[in-house]
Amino acid sequence: MPPDRPEGHPAGAAPELPDDPEDLAPGTAAERTRLAWERTAIGFGAVGLAMLRREPVAGLLVLAVAPLIWALGRYVSARARPEARSRRLLLVTVGVTGVAVLALIAAFLGHGGPVRLR
Amino acid sequence: MGAPGHRAARGGATSNSDGQRNGVSGEVEPDVRFTLANERTFLAWNRTALALVVAGLGIVQLLPPFPGVPWGRHVLGVPLIVLGAVVSVTAYLEWRRTQAAMRRSEPIPQSVLPRILVATITGIAALSAVVLLVSAAR
Repeated sequence: MPPDRPEGHPAGAAPELPDDPEDLAPGTAAERTRLAWERTAIGFGAVGLAMLRREPVAGLLVLAVAPLIWALGRYVSARARPEARSRRLLLVTVGVTGVAVLALIAAFLGHGGPVRLR
Repeated sequence: MGAPGHRAARGGATSNSDGQRNGVSGEVEPDVRFTLANERTFLAWNRTALALVVAGLGIVQLLPPFPGVPWGRHVLGVPLIVLGAVVSVTAYLEWRRTQAAMRRSEPIPQSVLPRILVATITGIAALSAVVLLVSAAR
């Protein structure tokens, strides 16, 4: 009769874990990726809310991006075509770069500026 | 499916049931877990980029002006905002490079982002010290 547990593991001891934790539940990779998209959407929302008080227009623009990112995350699929995946990620980069441009405009022309050099 | 991490470390492309032929000679879509892990890394860098932009904007708009150094807040905040944009664009380029390397079963290229981040944040920390010293001296 083969042993039902590896040698050196007394009864009640925890079973040996695989090298890669993902091997425990490979199906969770897509779920964790969706959660990562949701955290990113929350990030956009938080930035939008932070900008809203001082720069309402820029803040609303950034806030509007948050649901878009959330929606993109809903389409995380193991079988997505590479070009479609690339386009989704490019949209995130365009979004973050757009937020940076808005922030620069706000920094120089908004409540922080205009810059006055002596 | 055994030891996917080991295959990823060697380049990532697999010919198992998850692999999809790409139509390009010698290129195979990698195991979907590697593709999703690459996507999560990209998203994590973009959240870092957003945090940098917010930190930069916060410095410019929320900090009180440094006495005697009217440009101080902009000198510290604007590079952080620019760094945010640079990190986001570089993260996209690196995602593409990594994905291409995995398709060709090549070693995954080393990321330049940690070095960019360390260099810029160290520079801004040094600049902060200079601004504070100049402000205190005036």
